[in-house]
Amino acid sequence: MPAAERTITLKVRESAWLATFQDLGREGSEALGVPCGGAADQHSAAVANILVGNPRSATSVEIMGGRFSFTTSKPLLIAVTGAPADVTVNGSKVSMWEPVCVPAKGRVVVANARGGMRNYLAFSGTLVTEQFMGSAAPEARMGFPQQITAGQHLELRTSYAGFEHPYLTQPLFRLPVPIPSFEQSLWSIDIVEGPETDAAVGIRELLASREYTVTAKSNHVGLRLDGPVVHPDGLGEIVSHGVPIGAFEIPHGDELIILGRYRTLTAGYPIVAFATKASLPLLGQARPGQRMTFRWVTQEQAVDRQHEAQRLLNVLESRVQSLFGAIDLPHYSRAVPARAAA
Amino acid sequence: MSTQPAPGPQLSQQSNAAAIKAVPFGDSALMVSVFSDDSGERQEGSRKLRELLLDVRPQGLLDVVAGVDSVLVEFDNLAVSHGQLAQTIRLAVAGGFGDNDGAHAGMHFVIPMVVNQTFAPDLADVAAELGISPEAVLGHVEDSVLNINLLASAMAPMMGRVQFPGQVSRCKEPRTNVDPGSVMVAGNNAIIQPFPGPTGWKVIGRTPLVICDIRENPPTSYSPGDTVRFKVVPESEWERLEGRFLRTDSYTIEGAH
Repeated sequence: MPAAERTITLKVRESAWLATFQDLGREGSEALGVPCGGAADQHSAAVANILVGNPRSATSVEIMGGRFSFTTSKPLLIAVTGAPADVTVNGSKVSMWEPVCVPAKGRVVVANARGGMRNYLAFSGTLVTEQFMGSAAPEARMGFPQQITAGQHLELRTSYAGFEHPYLTQPLFRLPVPIPSFEQSLWSIDIVEGPETDAAVGIRELLASREYTVTAKSNHVGLRLDGPVVHPDGLGEIVSHGVPIGAFEIPHGDELIILGRYRTLTAGYPIVAFATKASLPLLGQARPGQRMTFRWVTQEQAVDRQHEAQRLLNVLESRVQSLFGAIDLPHYSRAVPARAAA
Repeated sequence: MSTQPAPGPQLSQQSNAAAIKAVPFGDSALMVSVFSDDSGERQEGSRKLRELLLDVRPQGLLDVVAGVDSVLVEFDNLAVSHGQLAQTIRLAVAGGFGDNDGAHAGMHFVIPMVVNQTFAPDLADVAAELGISPEAVLGHVEDSVLNINLLASAMAPMMGRVQFPGQVSRCKEPRTNVDPGSVMVAGNNAIIQPFPGPTGWKVIGRTPLVICDIRENPPTSYSPGDTVRFKVVPESEWERLEGRFLRTDSYTIEGAH
């Protein structure tokens, strides 16, 4: 049996350009006018939590740019995912996308992210933080910034009490981790057609053949891209309507906006395409200067890719559960509803 | 592309059931609206659709976003397909659309607002556009019993209809930052800015009350279906009311009850 849960304190030493508490976002909040928010790269955030035996939706730390470091007096089980970065424990390089055992009196540094925008740092256990509408995700506009600053103490409730491999100090976990590639300088993003695709004559060909570059005006509300656009003809005024994450809007100016998880929920701009759900995690890693091309896929192909992405997460989750169960590490098991079990 | 039934055996159209339009919006959302040439019917239909969806909660439903005359339905595309969800919505509409009229026992709010040069920078413009005096503009606002149709960005209460003699246009250049509490109009709708932020709506006053506070649970006292009346109060009332959280009894009109 894992040890009883205890509360330990982590001291944040460096806080990157921006570090926040983060999770997968709010559920059911958009009916009340609050965007779901949550980790821009949902895949990396989910994997980080799975790798430490947490539920996917547990609170982690989202790190953007610069250096993030913290110290702990007690042992910790952590995982770092997202853009390729340098992760060290007491000065020794450790792997991303793997469970990492941090010894007591440990110092962890996450730095030099490249190829992407965000890192996710998950801890075995529960990070103590406030919630808004059931989620730790920031909602800065409404006064819930969730920012983590240097000098701040983070509280963690954990049952992890240290683990040492009998022969290797740092155990080797061989897990089937779906690690996205950040090596390509030109990304290919899958898209499906939108309500105004046909009205914007030529946009189909442009999106399929030309390169678009993320500009510095991009943020968590949306990615703004430089590249050729055409404005739809003869639509008149579009009545303001709900817009999903991943919508490709062409506003009045000559730019393309791909809406993010903190979008304004309604808009009246023409929508010429939608990023597929399976392509959203990569878009959540796009930095200014990132070049991308687009590939039209059918709804069926889009759903197939999402199925595959979820299947890989499920496989990883069950492997972590059996491994952690075998070596007595704390882990979350997908709850079986009492009625179903009875 | 739409999810209208494919050619083949079709259910006979029920004459009393509203025709529902459902269009894929990406691989995991549907844009749903009521077929009608009348914008009032579409808006009313959209409100009913939203209530029905939140009541029925079809399999796979994740969230809904209300638009002016449509509802964006976000769903788990591994649990349900566009076609299946559209079909469920049509069946739910055929089975019970309109039966939930008045199901929501709405609350009524009286919201005080102060009007001065600083708080109402667009009042003169609105008056000029409508061809009436600024006092008459405020008179129409105060006389209208407004219905909260939906919660817009950051839980802002979107309300209709202000009994203006015409439509109010939006600002040509949207403001980059408008203070919280600002009472704003566009078309024949009104809205209150809950948090600082940009808007193209015309600002005609400000309430001293706090309408949304994330430390309250729920963060707003109001919800769609509630009614609102604005009451212009003297500037001397500002200090007494400033910072109070809006509740039904935050401000009562003398002799109103």
